Amino acid sequence: MHYQGESWGYYMPTSSMPSDTMERVVKLASESAVVIFSLSSCCMCHAVKRLFCGMGVNPTVYELDQDLRGKEMERALMRLLGNSQAVPVVFIGGKLIGSMDRVMASHINGTLVPLLKEAGALWL
Amino acid sequence: MANHNIPYAVLHGMNVPTSFIHQEGSSFDFGELEEAIVLQGVKIRNDDEAKAPLFTTGRPAATLEMFPSWPMRFHQTPRGSSKSGGESTDSGSAVNTNSSKTENQLEPESPISTKKTTPLDQQQGMASDISRTGTSIAKLPQEKRRGSTSEKQLDAKTLRRLAQNREAARKSRLRKKAYVQQLESSRIKLTQLEQDLQRARSQGFFLGGCAAAVGNISTGAAIFDMEYSRWLEDDQRHMSELRTGLNAHLSDSDLRIIVDSYISHYDELFRLKVAAVKADVFHLLTGMWATPAERCFLWMGGFRPSELIKMLISQLDPLTEQQVMGIYSLQHSSQQAEEALTQGLEQLHQSLIDTVAGGPVIDGMQQMAVALGKLANLEGFVRQADNLRQQTLHQLSRILTVRQAARCFLMIGEYYGRLRALSSLWASRPRESMMGDDHSCQTTTDLQMVQPSQNHFSNF
Repeated sequence: MHYQGESWGYYMPTSSMPSDTMERVVKLASESAVVIFSLSSCCMCHAVKRLFCGMGVNPTVYELDQDLRGKEMERALMRLLGNSQAVPVVFIGGKLIGSMDRVMASHINGTLVPLLKEAGALWL
Repeated sequence: MANHNIPYAVLHGMNVPTSFIHQEGSSFDFGELEEAIVLQGVKIRNDDEAKAPLFTTGRPAATLEMFPSWPMRFHQTPRGSSKSGGESTDSGSAVNTNSSKTENQLEPESPISTKKTTPLDQQQGMASDISRTGTSIAKLPQEKRRGSTSEKQLDAKTLRRLAQNREAARKSRLRKKAYVQQLESSRIKLTQLEQDLQRARSQGFFLGGCAAAVGNISTGAAIFDMEYSRWLEDDQRHMSELRTGLNAHLSDSDLRIIVDSYISHYDELFRLKVAAVKADVFHLLTGMWATPAERCFLWMGGFRPSELIKMLISQLDPLTEQQVMGIYSLQHSSQQAEEALTQGLEQLHQSLIDTVAGGPVIDGMQQMAVALGKLANLEGFVRQADNLRQQTLHQLSRILTVRQAARCFLMIGEYYGRLRALSSLWASRPRESMMGDDHSCQTTTDLQMVQPSQNHFSNF
C-alpha cells in the first residue's frame, strides 16, 4: 500500500476552484492501478483496504485528513458520488468504481477481479 | 314502529322530561323514553305522582335494586348511536367500544335500527319489548274513555306496575346481554394476546417487557419485529409456492416467476433492515429480532453468506463444472468480503475502547461525543453486511438454473425454519428450573447458555 498524503502539500498551488479539485482527484485516480481515497480514522476505509490487501492487490491510498487540500477533495468526492459519505471511494484503472457497497457488489458478482486484472493490479 | 313513541308524546302534549332526551349528550336511550311515556301516560289519567319522581332523575334506581346480582353498570348498557345513520361515538360505554368492532348486522324493520352497535338479539328483544309497551300505551288511552274512574284507576295502577316490571325486566336483560358481550369480547382479546405471546415466545424474545408498550425495546425495534414476523408469514407462503411449483413440474418461465418473487421477498427484508438499522442498530446487531438458535450463528446482524453457501453446496448437485466454479468463487469472494468487514469492525471496536477508556478525562462530554460518533459507524457495517447478503443471494440465482434456484431457495427457507423450530424446542424443553415454569427465566438461561458459543460477539 502506498500512502501519498503529505507530499502533496508542497508543490500544488492552493487553488480553491472546485473544478481544479475534481481535476486533481481524477488525475490522482488515474496515476495508479487501484486508488483509494480514505480517512485515517475511518473504519470502513480500513475495511476496504483490507479487502484489496486480502486479494493480493497493492492499492494507492490517499488519506484526505493528512492532505492540506483534503477537505476540498472530500467535498468534490461527495459531489461525485452524490452522497454525504466521501470516503472510502475506489478507482480502478482510472475509472470510478464507487463506495464500499459498489466494491463489494462487484466482487460478489465477479466483475471486480477481471477489472483488477485488466488494470494490471492482479496477476493470476 | 321506529317513530311510534316520539310522536305520541308530542301529539298528546305530554311533558316528557327533557332530561331523558338529553342524557349523555348526543345519544339517548329509547328505554328511558318509553318509561317516561308510560308513566306520563299514567300520570295524565291518575294525577298520581307518587312514583313519578323516581324517574325524573333519569335513573331507574328502583329497578336496579330488584336485580342486585348484576353490576351497577348503568352507563354501560348499549345506548350508543341512536341517531339515524350516525356512528357510535359514545365513549363512555365500554360495551360500545368492544362491540363496535364486531360490526353487527341491522334489521331494517327494527325500531332501534340506528343502534349499530347492539347485537341482533338485543334489538329483537328490545323490539318485542317496545311492541309490548307500545300496546300497553295504546291500551291506556282507550281505557281512559271507557269505564268508571275507580275501576280504571285500579287497572291503571296494576297496568303501571306491570309496565314497570316489564321495563325493569327488559333493562335487566339488556344489562345482562351487555355484560355477557363484554365478557365475550374480553375473552377473545385474551386468547389473541395469548397467541401473540406464544408466538413471541417461540421466536425467543425476552419476556418481562419485550413489548414496546412496556418500553423495554425501542419503537424502531418493535416495528421491525412486527414487520419481520409478517415477513416470516410471507416466507411460508413463498415456500409453499416453490414447493408446489417444483412438484407440479412447471415450465421454466413459470418457475422463473416464482423464483423471482422469492428474490423480491428477500429484497423486501433487506429494505426493512435498512430502516431498522437507522432506527436501532443494536437490535439488529445483538440479534434480538431472531430466535436463539439463529442468534448463535449471527454475523453482523444476519446470516454469514459463506456459511450459507457451504450449507448449500453439497445439496445443490448435480452442477455443471462451470456452476461448481461459480459457486466456489462466490464462496471465496464472500469470505474475503466478510473478512474485510470483520476487520473494519474490529478497528472500530478498538477505536471505541480507546475513546471510552479515555486516559485522563480532560473533557467527559467531548469524549462521549466522540464515542457517539464512532458508535454511529456500526450502522454502516450492518448495512454493508446486509448488502453482502443480498448480493450473494442474487448471484446464486444467476449461477443456478431456474429449477436449481427454486430448490436452493426452498432449502434456505427450510433450513432457517428448522433453526427457528429448534429454538422453540429448546425454549420449551423439560428441565428443572429454579424459577419453576417461568418462561422468561428459561429464555434468559437459554441465552446465557448460548452466549459462550458466540465467539464473534466477544468483539463487541
